[in-house]
Amino acid sequence: MPHIDSDIKLDFKDVLLRPKRSTLKSRNEVDLTRSFSFRNSKQMYTGIPIIAANMDTVGTFEMAKVLCKFSLFTAVHKHYSLQQWKEFASQNPEPCLSHSIWLPAQAPALQTLNSWNRSWKLFPRNICLDVANGYSEHFVEFVKDVRKRFPKHTIMAGNVVTGEMVEELILSGADIIKVGIGPGSVCTTRKKTGVGYPQLSAVMECADAAHGLKGHIISDGGCSCPGDVAKAFGAGADFVMLGGMLAGHSESGGELIERDGRKYKLFYGMSSEMAMKKYAGGVAEYRASEGKTVEVPFKGDVEHTIRDILGGIRSTCTYVGAAKLKELSRRTTFIRVTQQVNPIFSDESST
Amino acid sequence: MPRIDADLKLDFKDVLLRPKRSSLRSRAEVDLERTFTFRNSKQTYSGIPIIVANMDTVGTFEMAVVMSQHSMFTAIHKHYTLDDWKFFAAHHPECLQHVAVSSGSGKSDLEKMSDILEAVPQVKFICLDVANGYSEHFVEFVKLVRARFPEHTIMAGNVVTGEMVEELILSGADIIKVGVGPEHRWSFHRRCAPQPPALAGLSIRTDSTRKGSVCTTRTKTGVGYPQLSAVIECADSAHGLKGHIISDGGCTCPGDVAKAFGAGADFVMLGGMFSGHTECAGEVIEKNGQKLKLFYGMSSETAMRKHAGGVAEYRASEGKTVEVPYKGDVENTILDILGGLRSTCTYVGAAKLKELSRRATFIRVTQQHNTVFS
Repeated sequence: MPHIDSDIKLDFKDVLLRPKRSTLKSRNEVDLTRSFSFRNSKQMYTGIPIIAANMDTVGTFEMAKVLCKFSLFTAVHKHYSLQQWKEFASQNPEPCLSHSIWLPAQAPALQTLNSWNRSWKLFPRNICLDVANGYSEHFVEFVKDVRKRFPKHTIMAGNVVTGEMVEELILSGADIIKVGIGPGSVCTTRKKTGVGYPQLSAVMECADAAHGLKGHIISDGGCSCPGDVAKAFGAGADFVMLGGMLAGHSESGGELIERDGRKYKLFYGMSSEMAMKKYAGGVAEYRASEGKTVEVPFKGDVEHTIRDILGGIRSTCTYVGAAKLKELSRRTTFIRVTQQVNPIFSDESST
Repeated sequence: MPRIDADLKLDFKDVLLRPKRSSLRSRAEVDLERTFTFRNSKQTYSGIPIIVANMDTVGTFEMAVVMSQHSMFTAIHKHYTLDDWKFFAAHHPECLQHVAVSSGSGKSDLEKMSDILEAVPQVKFICLDVANGYSEHFVEFVKLVRARFPEHTIMAGNVVTGEMVEELILSGADIIKVGVGPEHRWSFHRRCAPQPPALAGLSIRTDSTRKGSVCTTRTKTGVGYPQLSAVIECADSAHGLKGHIISDGGCTCPGDVAKAFGAGADFVMLGGMFSGHTECAGEVIEKNGQKLKLFYGMSSETAMRKHAGGVAEYRASEGKTVEVPYKGDVENTILDILGGLRSTCTYVGAAKLKELSRRATFIRVTQQHNTVFS
């Protein structure tokens, strides 16, 4: 008989952060930079732990150039060729590369990385192994294999949503585990499969499991506003990955569409029909598309959005009395709510 | 004094399935076929256990032709004539193992069904469908049909609780329809005229338990049962007697179908998800440049007008008529549903659909998916 887990799992929209007494005078005093030392690669990393998602409409080189100025991470999507990577590397200084993450599409791509690595010192030190379903035994083997070949690269692996799988992947050689199944705005996995886990609860449970082993986690998906990013950090996420919030900017991939005097950009999930057609020649008969395509209003340069997000998190830290981002989760008390904002003057989206 | 059942009953929208470790490499490895041996008919059936509902907009012969190519099942609506059936049987003999003949509990329904089963002996399934599976009258009817057709597999319903599932199985039914699903409620009242008025009144009030997309019973009567809990409880009762159940209604997306199987349903019956396709009955209408098809619950005014010449005075219409966007060929919808199910099985580590309920852990949630762009 199926089992029902009776305690209710929560999403970002179900909670708010409770303000606490604080000795901070201004939000300028808040330090959003964190330094990490990774469990398996032994590498150090310092930066603001926000990552642009490896979706081909978000994780572009153009995005990386802007984000590295703020010491934010970019997970560069996997559809750039070796030639494009070389160009990018030659035009950009070292720090830009250290803030980029490379995604091998398939096992064969790892061999390419092997040869690049010998000839080319500047190659990104971060590998992101990304599959929709991190629960297969096959994926665990893949992580072990990559760890063996690249002992000094920082490996991110996912996605999963439960503690036992976070532990398994860390013990198999991953440093940072991506957490989140189906929370994304253009993800329809929950609709198509009924599988998923509310993001706030997933982050809290997975962070607990990872930190016990000195591993780290990324909260991937489900953030629709800077407040959600703050809640993800508050719940214990070491990094927060953003897709939809960074879509629709000048630096995002895809053409600008103009209709009725308004500008739009396309944004789609990486297993939507659109992406499958573009990269795999169509949806295979045995699978359903698990993403959708939307037109998002054009938002101009991403720089403004970044300032908005960072400003929001600084303000959160001030409210709960955290002088550093690192302290945020220790100072966090969530309260359960039924409504996030006063909807009287809200436009179509009430988040 | 009224009693309030304290533990919360859940619907599909209240839960998600928790992913589990899996040794599957690809969703192409997942086997969605199941083989059943039925308790009373002793028949064996193999196929993908998804059933097109016996509503007259979706349970059509055209639908059955496409479904049988995927070894999926169609409960044919009861408004086809004997000649329609003979014609269909002659032209599509390969479909007959994947269809059922439907009947209400009225005399004329039963006679017509007997004629059809006699003329088309390859059809081995009977779908007995009344609004209120809780009436003693229906239990007697199931016994009668079982006596007349000892070797046909009988689906009967609808009910939502374990004790009634057991009663119907012990009365001769093989597969019990659970919960919901808009259907032939009107015929029960019209054709069972000899009933004493008191009983007729009772059956109006307790009339239904349904909650399909075009069913308004819950708003009209306040009667109902959340589908996920109903399926879990009824599956438990049925399996204890080696019977089977159909989760009927309430599915709005492939994820809900997966949850119904995860909850223990042997079959899942779909109405609304299969509506609006080329293979459905009814005209395609065009409004503001958009193509639409009519879809209605079997006790809606449209259905009642069509089949009974208007709404009987003593009862409110309990279904509504909606225009659904025209969705093209049903083939794409089928692939979408089957693809979604395969993906679910991969996430929870079930190599076969049969294992899905054993591997299912539901978690309770407050929202299903990100609504930013919906």
